[in-house]
Amino acid sequence: MAVQVLVKDDLYVLNQCAKYLARSNSDSRHNFGQFDPGDIRARICESWRFPIVDVYSDGVNFESTYAQNEVTFVYSHEGSTPPQQISVVGTFSNLYEPVPLRKVGDSKYFTVTVLVPKGQIHTYKYILDGEAIVDPINPQRVTLDNGNIWSRFFTFLCTTPLALEQWERDLLARLTDHVLPFRTKEAQDFLNRYYYGLDRQTKDTQYIRAYRLDEPVGVVSFIDNLLAREENHHLIDYKICLPLIRELLRTRNPFVEPTLMPADLYEDLYKEMATGNVNGWDYNRYNNPRYFLQLLRRHTYTGAFSHPRYGGNIGASGWAYLEETFRDQNGKSAFDWRKALEVPLGSNADYHG
Amino acid sequence: MQTEFDVVIVGSGAGGAPIAYTLAKAGKSVLVLEKGPLFKPQYQDPLGLSDFKRDEAFSTGAEKRIQIPEVANNGASYYSSHVEPDLNDEPHVYRRPDGQDAATIEGYTAQVVGGGTQLYGSVSLRFSPLDLRLKSFNEGRTDLRYDPNGDIKREARDWPITYDDLEPYYCKAETIIGVNGTQQGQTKPFSEDCYQKPLTPNPISQYIETGMDAKGMPRYRTPLALITEDHAPSGRTVPSDPETAKSGYVNRYGDALGLKSSTWVSLLGPISTLPNFELRPNCVVTHIECEGSVVNRVHYLDPSGMPQVVEGKLVVIACSAIESVRLLKLSAQLSPEFDQRINQNDLLGKYFLTHCFGGASANVPTPNRFDKSISLDSDWATDFCATEDFLRDSHLWAGGAIYNNTSDRALPMSLARNYGSQDLDTVWQAFMDATQLTGDALVTFLDRNFGRGLSVSFMANQLPLKTNRIELHPAVKDKWGRPVAYILKQWHYHDIALMNTFAGQCADILTRAGVTDGLGEGGVYMAENALARCANHILGGARFGTDPQDSVLDTTCRAWHFDNLYLTDGSFMPTSGGANPTLTIQANSFRVADEMLKRM
Repeated sequence: MAVQVLVKDDLYVLNQCAKYLARSNSDSRHNFGQFDPGDIRARICESWRFPIVDVYSDGVNFESTYAQNEVTFVYSHEGSTPPQQISVVGTFSNLYEPVPLRKVGDSKYFTVTVLVPKGQIHTYKYILDGEAIVDPINPQRVTLDNGNIWSRFFTFLCTTPLALEQWERDLLARLTDHVLPFRTKEAQDFLNRYYYGLDRQTKDTQYIRAYRLDEPVGVVSFIDNLLAREENHHLIDYKICLPLIRELLRTRNPFVEPTLMPADLYEDLYKEMATGNVNGWDYNRYNNPRYFLQLLRRHTYTGAFSHPRYGGNIGASGWAYLEETFRDQNGKSAFDWRKALEVPLGSNADYHG
Repeated sequence: MQTEFDVVIVGSGAGGAPIAYTLAKAGKSVLVLEKGPLFKPQYQDPLGLSDFKRDEAFSTGAEKRIQIPEVANNGASYYSSHVEPDLNDEPHVYRRPDGQDAATIEGYTAQVVGGGTQLYGSVSLRFSPLDLRLKSFNEGRTDLRYDPNGDIKREARDWPITYDDLEPYYCKAETIIGVNGTQQGQTKPFSEDCYQKPLTPNPISQYIETGMDAKGMPRYRTPLALITEDHAPSGRTVPSDPETAKSGYVNRYGDALGLKSSTWVSLLGPISTLPNFELRPNCVVTHIECEGSVVNRVHYLDPSGMPQVVEGKLVVIACSAIESVRLLKLSAQLSPEFDQRINQNDLLGKYFLTHCFGGASANVPTPNRFDKSISLDSDWATDFCATEDFLRDSHLWAGGAIYNNTSDRALPMSLARNYGSQDLDTVWQAFMDATQLTGDALVTFLDRNFGRGLSVSFMANQLPLKTNRIELHPAVKDKWGRPVAYILKQWHYHDIALMNTFAGQCADILTRAGVTDGLGEGGVYMAENALARCANHILGGARFGTDPQDSVLDTTCRAWHFDNLYLTDGSFMPTSGGANPTLTIQANSFRVADEMLKRM
């Protein structure tokens, strides 16, 4: 199917670009370890924002258009003579049909906006006068099986693994379980009721292609998305610490797979990590286990309770847990989160998300 | 593109927008230059979507790290709002009490059309008549304490205008901007009641009523710049259920519904269709030039970073106190003539002010709990600590307002990331440090805190000191290679005494209402980073006055020794007032606009 191109006004594009892309610094002031020295993307603030993935609506039916995102590509031309023709090719469209970018007013920016369903991952390249290049701004790049490097983006509610491998996700699921308040029996019963009780339509709009049905709050997907994009500089922490923790747990109990080990082993591990003193931890590989626990807790809590668009808090199950658990003196919930939020996620008729 | 205007205004927030509104309506050609983007509310978008979202990640985003080798907090984490300046691109550098420099951005600094009025909690209190005559009030007093060197009598200044001069403009601002509240219970004189009707308070605020009544504090509904009824001056209408405005996504968020009265929805949006008005967002002003006493060129970088120049018969600088002073200092660096005129005395950047700010906080008694996510920023306020009697009894030089915060810690993320955090520089830090809060302990934490936190804040005058000042940093540069602002600021003994007194009053309100679980109280001076991020209100640095030797601006906020240069953000204030400053900045700008019209 041909991709649907949307017409956005110049102001929208300039609003999303000036803060991040207009600059004259040559230093790498935005490199927190995610870029190699000299990478020009390290000069740019929040380069992960590109391409811009945003909420879509046709202005008529906010519910039926909820399952799609707008994706705005920006090519920022630095230097004197811009290319004659700039287009984008990618898996979101027919690969042989480049989508042309237009110049934004008299600015250095070229842009096009397309409609892409939520829950998807795509690769793309820009074509400048016939020459294909990766997006110079977007930090997300993937090497395909044929060795070609392409730029990548993903839309809201993405549950497909991006940054972590399967075993890493499995171990992370156990680790996050012991951070969250959801592992009490009551909480588990509630989440199961809530999660399996959602009707088919809600499931379709709110957690497309849920990757792991035994992961009701989706924290692992949230962390995976975060490490692939906004906090890519923390991927290294997980890539070092997850193998380290797996080896350590295997040393402590050689007979059971770490993901199947009883809770007390994880609890003991957290207690030790909190002190910074972990028996058997390889400090040469990662010198601060307490820091990793802090990071893991922030990411886990954020994943459970942030807006579901970021891949965690699936179907707002984290919020629903709070809604169910915390009640006022009259038995009424102390967290009516639906009241503020957009339909179909929430029930506010005026706010459109 | 048009390059010549009657008026060029730098900044679209509380200081700039009232002038643009007044002069554009009077038929003058007006250009507003704004560094940030123009984010619109839903009702202005053909597809019904806003660039502002009810989403906690918009207020406190993903982790970034300070990468400024010259500062002591290099490497520290920060989490910014989508409209805050990025700390690595445009930091403010403060000297910490330990003598080391640290990078920060003051709370509610917003680079967006509307400026801080997009993010603020919208508390729109008037200053009291006493706030504008603190020199006269303190002259001859023998009861003042905590001032061994007599700084109060030496440094206090009366404003060159009185409350009566400002009062009609308070009414004008309240009417045109759209403010709800109640007048009864306020000590400030009102010539007319211009408030819209307040919404019902959050039930948790019953404790505040009880506490304030028990202490004999006359109370009133906190004035909030948020419309609760259809608002003719701006053409805004309220939803069928006006209570929809209440959510945890008001304070520190732009309002997608446009009910919060930012200067965009209340002032600039309504004039944006006039042919003689132009707004250029995403444009950063780099310097201004003069020829003799006339500022004749305003230099800015367009959204691509390309240099552009415009001219205005009058030029208004209103990009918040620190950035306005910085812009003048940068302009002075580039031009000896400008330097000589703006620095005929040594006061530019001096007497920088924030507020004595703090309060008390505790949890309501079990089993009570409230849905704080359905609320506005504040429900009740009192002027009890702004009266002459109170100040004489407590031996203090100046007063302030006390009000409760209703929406703080209302949402799950803000509950955790603000846990134990005294300011925005320590967001997440305490929660991250509390590594014991996992599993069952996290349940206990949530059980104790969710929907139970209640806090009371004060906002009071800070004693002006010449040593508190804004300079240009000798080493740190912004993303354009321009020196960043450098802030040197300390608290006076008297400020600390004042904060302790006010915090005690706030704690009393909670105690008298039986809200004592985990009671804590204090002032901003106690924060880990006491000089910096808590400075939500940045004021002074270019005070106005009647004596060219003792002020930077004349009584019309025009820079001495210039014919056409005005400063109208909070930098004009000689004292910081006993309340949140936005309404006063707006009222003063309406006043200055009338002064400008007289000469055009």
